[in-house]
Amino acid sequence: MAAYLSMGEAHRRIGDYLSRVVDAISSSDGAALASLVAVSSAPGSTLLSDALAAFPDFPRLAGDRFPHLADLLVPLLRAIHSHSLQRFADAYSSFEKAANAFLQEFRNWETPWAMEAMHTVALEIRLLAEKADRELTTTGKNPDKLQAAGSFLMKVFGALAVKGPKRIGALYVTCQLFKIYFRLGTVNLCRSVIRSIETARNFDFEDFPVKDKVTYMYYTGRLEVFNENFLVADQKLTYALMHCNPQSESNLRRILKFLIPVKLSIGVLPKRTLLERYNLLEYADVMTSLKTGDLRLLRQALDRHEDQFLKSGVYLVLEKLELQVYQRLVKKIHIIQRQKEPAKAHQIKLDVVVKALKWLEIDMDVDEVECIMACLIYKNLIKGYFAHKSKVLVLSKQDPFPKLNGKPV
Amino acid sequence: MDRGSSSSRGRGWQGRGHHGGGRGGGGWQGYGRGRHGGGGGGRGRSSPPTPSSTAYRAAVNPTPAPACTVDDAAPIVGTCPDMCPARERAQRERLRDLAVLERVGGDPTRTSSSLAVKKFCRTISSTNVMASDIRPLPVLRETMDYLLHLLDSSEHPFETIHDFIFDRTRSIRQDLSMQNVVNHQAIQIYEDVVTFHIRSHQRLARSCQDSDASSLCFLNMEQLTKCLLSLFDMYHAIHESDSHSKREAEYYSFYVLLHLGCKIPKMVDSLSLWYSQLPPQVRQSKEMLLARNLLRCYHLGNFKRFFCMIAAEATDLQLRLVEPFLNEVRARALMYFNHSGYKLQHHPLEHLSEILMIEESELETLCRICGLEIRTSEGMKAFVPKQTSFSLPTSMPQSNGIYISRDEKSIVIQVNGL
Repeated sequence: MAAYLSMGEAHRRIGDYLSRVVDAISSSDGAALASLVAVSSAPGSTLLSDALAAFPDFPRLAGDRFPHLADLLVPLLRAIHSHSLQRFADAYSSFEKAANAFLQEFRNWETPWAMEAMHTVALEIRLLAEKADRELTTTGKNPDKLQAAGSFLMKVFGALAVKGPKRIGALYVTCQLFKIYFRLGTVNLCRSVIRSIETARNFDFEDFPVKDKVTYMYYTGRLEVFNENFLVADQKLTYALMHCNPQSESNLRRILKFLIPVKLSIGVLPKRTLLERYNLLEYADVMTSLKTGDLRLLRQALDRHEDQFLKSGVYLVLEKLELQVYQRLVKKIHIIQRQKEPAKAHQIKLDVVVKALKWLEIDMDVDEVECIMACLIYKNLIKGYFAHKSKVLVLSKQDPFPKLNGKPV
Repeated sequence: MDRGSSSSRGRGWQGRGHHGGGRGGGGWQGYGRGRHGGGGGGRGRSSPPTPSSTAYRAAVNPTPAPACTVDDAAPIVGTCPDMCPARERAQRERLRDLAVLERVGGDPTRTSSSLAVKKFCRTISSTNVMASDIRPLPVLRETMDYLLHLLDSSEHPFETIHDFIFDRTRSIRQDLSMQNVVNHQAIQIYEDVVTFHIRSHQRLARSCQDSDASSLCFLNMEQLTKCLLSLFDMYHAIHESDSHSKREAEYYSFYVLLHLGCKIPKMVDSLSLWYSQLPPQVRQSKEMLLARNLLRCYHLGNFKRFFCMIAAEATDLQLRLVEPFLNEVRARALMYFNHSGYKLQHHPLEHLSEILMIEESELETLCRICGLEIRTSEGMKAFVPKQTSFSLPTSMPQSNGIYISRDEKSIVIQVNGL
């Protein structure tokens, strides 16, 4: 405990930490430096934090010993100290100052030796901001730190997304920015960053580190889901899935959470075991309804998980599966008719559809069914035509229920 | 009113959705222009970003301003007692810059404090704004009431009145945002402005079919969208306790209903994203459920249910908002029926007119505009499916609302006039 610490020991520990930071910089040891600036992952009490508590004059110590790095070291120590006291808003503010000073130095270093440390700073500032905002919310203050972290990371992005050897680190920062923008609901701000990444002529996207590419594709894939560009969303999320570390079950699950609705919308159904394996059973009923034509089940699944689906942004994607479920229902009727009366199997009375819907406790009259059949035919989910006067749907004898084959409705 | 608390709330409101809004150029000036001043730059989140939007500044040049400048400065408090500041009145008299509705006895050089209303100023600069040029909340309320009462006047053509109110309500919004007023009264003013734009939206779509009017419709729609989004921001800011009024649910539903129209300016956020941020009580409100179901039926092609629901459940304003879109929906229905029907069985217009809730004669006009030939057989007008001449028209005939025909008795559900 801090109370038992002699001033001399505290002084020695702080001095030791400072020299390790300065040594890491002078010897260009990025990994060592990275571990020294990881503030938020430290436990409440460490050798260093106890020392800071016992030796309140630590800012002067740092300033006196290493004046040329005081802008970095003093706020860094303050951040560590505040964080150990669980004063997160203070910790954030100090860390942001240190981060700005670090970025200043980083800009001047010609080689990217400190990239790992820069990335740690980028990660830490986001994590600290999240903690700070939680604290500010509970104390009734305006939680604006995550936004501020976003502004800082834009500066980092600006320093990295230039020609030269530092560019390789830009995608990591981009992903940290995505995390912030998704959290804040300001995903439109992703656009300028995406433009900068995707239009670069002198840097091939494939040259970025795999883990950053996976994260990037996950988030941009989600953006495409929001915009209902299912084909692009499919490409991006599939890329993320294929390149994701197969050991990382939780990441695979997060990707699948969006990839599955996208795949359903282009007519590709996953196996149920996949849903079980990754605990995505909220999609189970939706999938069953697509297989059985059970419209009521789709409705129920959407109602039951409405909050969850709306929050993640897949609700409208799933709602639009309704047309495919109607297609399946008509197909089922067709199959049953074929068994009973093969000669007339391709003629389906609209009344029969109305009756089938009634069994599902869906109240719909013949006019409504006619409207929906017209739509199914128009959208090429059914081949054939309906005869208005005789109230009959006449199916084409060839391929009456075309598969989507990877194309959206 | 409680100006102190409104300004502190205002900060939270401004904070949301803005990148670095609180620091990199927030303050009243920043969002007066970027956010909801009704001004040139559009919303902070809109795309493509304009130089005046704070989001853009934060994103491209995120140097934070010294943290305490604008944020901690007290917002300006207006002292102008009239609808139009005396200084502007005198200047506009001199420059003969008076709207028809502002002239005393038709004289283009004379106005009065009871006629002149402050104009919207496109290029407002923060430095030379004087408190005497800004109207406090009670005066803004009076001004709004005055403008709304003009709508009942039949002295001038509607376009003249619309044009006047269109501009002057922008100036009201500008004054509100400059003073950073976010409270129930400000919300009410915004709701009134939205209502004005919805009424105009319906009336403009009805009254004129020429190209001049379509640009008016477009501009009106643009301001309608902007106002709605600012209004939602205010709702969001004012709710610490998540109590949502019925009125509020209705205004939220307008955003969803606007997605029915094909000609509206591109929305800032996709509907999926928008839903994900909406409070559950609002999503589950009667008004919102109607809007969501309408959209669903539209995508499903269940036009019968679509029109039935509008007829049975839409509020007055909801109906006004969707009315100009109804013929687009009907044209789509005709497209499906023409494509999917059987060539040898005629489709009587009587049946379609019932489903699409439109008078048969109007439906006939719509069919012709879509390139469908109408035949008469057995004394009934009908169209023959599979006509290749069909095409979705670029400009729609005016819609007269929802028509229900039952037992010889016809009811037209429509909202007349303003």
